[in-house]
Amino acid sequence: MDLTPFINGLYGIPVFGVLLQVIGYLVAVIPPNAPNIMQQATPLALAALCGVLCERSGVVNIGIEGTMLAAAFTAWVVGVAIQPMFGTPNPSDIFGITIPLIISLAAGVGVAMAISALHAWLSISLRADQIISGTIINIAAVGLTGYLNQLISQNSPAGAGEFARFVPPTALTNLPGIGWILAMLLNQGPISISVIVLVIGTQLWLFRSRWGLRTRAVGEHPRAAETVGIDVIRVRYRNVILGGAFAGLAGAFLSIEATNSFQDDMTAGRGFIALAAMIMGRWTPIGSFGAALLFATFLQLGQVINISPPSGELGTIMASVPPQLFDALPYILTIVILAGVVGRSIPPAADGQPYEREAAT
Amino acid sequence: MRIRTRGFGVLAGFALIVSACSSSATAVPIATAAPTTAPTTAASTAPAATASAAPSSAATPAPSFAQMPNLKIGVVTDIGTLDDKGYNEFSFKGAQDGAIAIGVTDPVPSIVPKDASEYAADIQQFVSQKYDVIVTVGFNLTAATVSAAHANPKIRFVGVDQSPECITPAGANDAAFACKGVPATALPNYTSLYFAEDQAGYLAGIVAAYADKGAPTPTGVIGAIGGTTLCAPCVRYIQGYGLGAKSVNPAIVVKSAYVTHDFSNAAFNDPAGGKAFAQTFIQANKPDVLFQVAGKTGNGVIEAACAANIYGIGVDVDQWLSLGAPANACIITSAEKHVESAVAQAIESIAGGTLAAGDILFNAKNDGISAADFHDKASLFGPAVTTALQTALAAMQAGTLQTCPTTGCGVYAP
Repeated sequence: MDLTPFINGLYGIPVFGVLLQVIGYLVAVIPPNAPNIMQQATPLALAALCGVLCERSGVVNIGIEGTMLAAAFTAWVVGVAIQPMFGTPNPSDIFGITIPLIISLAAGVGVAMAISALHAWLSISLRADQIISGTIINIAAVGLTGYLNQLISQNSPAGAGEFARFVPPTALTNLPGIGWILAMLLNQGPISISVIVLVIGTQLWLFRSRWGLRTRAVGEHPRAAETVGIDVIRVRYRNVILGGAFAGLAGAFLSIEATNSFQDDMTAGRGFIALAAMIMGRWTPIGSFGAALLFATFLQLGQVINISPPSGELGTIMASVPPQLFDALPYILTIVILAGVVGRSIPPAADGQPYEREAAT
Repeated sequence: MRIRTRGFGVLAGFALIVSACSSSATAVPIATAAPTTAPTTAASTAPAATASAAPSSAATPAPSFAQMPNLKIGVVTDIGTLDDKGYNEFSFKGAQDGAIAIGVTDPVPSIVPKDASEYAADIQQFVSQKYDVIVTVGFNLTAATVSAAHANPKIRFVGVDQSPECITPAGANDAAFACKGVPATALPNYTSLYFAEDQAGYLAGIVAAYADKGAPTPTGVIGAIGGTTLCAPCVRYIQGYGLGAKSVNPAIVVKSAYVTHDFSNAAFNDPAGGKAFAQTFIQANKPDVLFQVAGKTGNGVIEAACAANIYGIGVDVDQWLSLGAPANACIITSAEKHVESAVAQAIESIAGGTLAAGDILFNAKNDGISAADFHDKASLFGPAVTTALQTALAAMQAGTLQTCPTTGCGVYAP
């Protein structure tokens, strides 16, 4: 049945018709671009997970940006270094996995965990100001990676390649209604595909396991947690370092999955946007993922409007709006949602407060 | 507790030192300056589109230039890095080449600003150390450079891509853009070097149109992605590209889009974002060739093009060489502007006392632009392409070829 005349009739309704055109445009452009949305959301969601783990245990980590950058650099540079040792790569059929790629990924995650351990030591053991500690990580990461990259990248060495994206069978992606969602989640590289698993896993871990309960107790009221025998310091260390692994994945995604290169400052503020996503998601993994996805959707939408603007009255209206507005769409949306929809999001009570054991008497 | 605090301070200090190392005053000895320059490489290997006589900006001291061994030359680049394989890097190399040519033996130092607020301060560093020539790189430094030139009439300033020069009759930076000042008299110690990007884009467009004809799916669509609509050189590249392609195939569809509309990180410094943008672009427009005019963001665009099995065209320098394998797998050519040679020529002219004030255009006439060699894609193209490029280049040199719209050249129009 051809619905075109009917739809055109609806679109012709004054004022309300434009709203229908917006919906029609969204329905037309979002599904084919869904895998791209997931690509944009992946580093944000992973970095937000790092934030959730840290802050739920009471440690503010604004050094996520720097941690990601260091991981991106390490993953790429290790790939450059070890690639020649393995000769011609023989990528596996799924994800194009090669041994150098696996080692690069592990190195990136390892460095991110090491940096997070430094942050943990500064902010938990030394009880330093956590904001300053995170800032140091951000500044040092930009400087160190920039300097080392300048030394290394002079003759444009080839990296270890990049993870390939999985191509799900068309029988799945052609399913009516949900096919595009499956394509969004499955037509991805290994890091991106694992995001949904990691998000759900962390959500369950945080709210359905003993460790998660302890983490939350330490983040809300460390003194009370200590009195029931929880080792506050250890829980915090563990969470911050585990969170670092997520930031490492986010960084490695940028340099060995999304692209096959490292550029100075290539995180481009994603670590900070992730913190906003974490707050928007009320410090829960699923909420943060949703926020990251929403942000990425509007980022993608701004680009799609830029590349293939809608036709009809809607197109005329949009052409009269300054294009900068569409670039700003995700940021405006973040502010609106933070201010209006989410309401007051309340951080863990002991967030950012160093914990000092009571002196033994 | 006191010891702990001290340890913390040491770490903080370390972070500051490390970040300072990477950003400020990196003195590079001249001897290490790479002798191979992009323009000369192109001139020796490009089959078609290079001007007949490349100026000798070789690294060996040429006795034909006036020697001024005591000239102190400093370079302030734009935000980013010195080794961006593009604009900053080749301006800096050009300054080094020029210094060698006029017999300077001291290293040429460079400062890479961290953000726009540092421009004036970084220029001032060289002014305070009594440098004779200060080269500033990029449109964004225009105001800071003009102000410094006005305040320090004895120092020679060379701006790369800061045209059109717009000054008040007194020689100060004209924020109101009335542009009443005459450069030669009002600000005789400042020169802006600029390029006919539309001519380079035109040549790239010719190549793109021919590549499109031979492509497996001749849909007749070619694309271009620019960094930001505010970047006039980017817009000129793409305008020339469209005209060049249509000169070969009037029916060809040229699609273009800009990643952003401001000078944020997304415009030139975000390869992952550029790749995602290009994927969306390719999905929507199905081009057979994609021209990137977006710096490092554009390197992601090239990656997306290669991944989608379409051809890519590089920008500013021969990106087939600068990106290297395997990233260059689908690059058929690059639209080059010879920044290195232009800066070197400017410095040689300073030593000879012949550098004019005001805007100096580098175009096909003085080997300012070219299309890069096809490298391993030469088999895609027949002699017709070479002929078309040579004809276009000759017409540009004669000044008879229109490569940019008569109205709105360099101005983005949606």
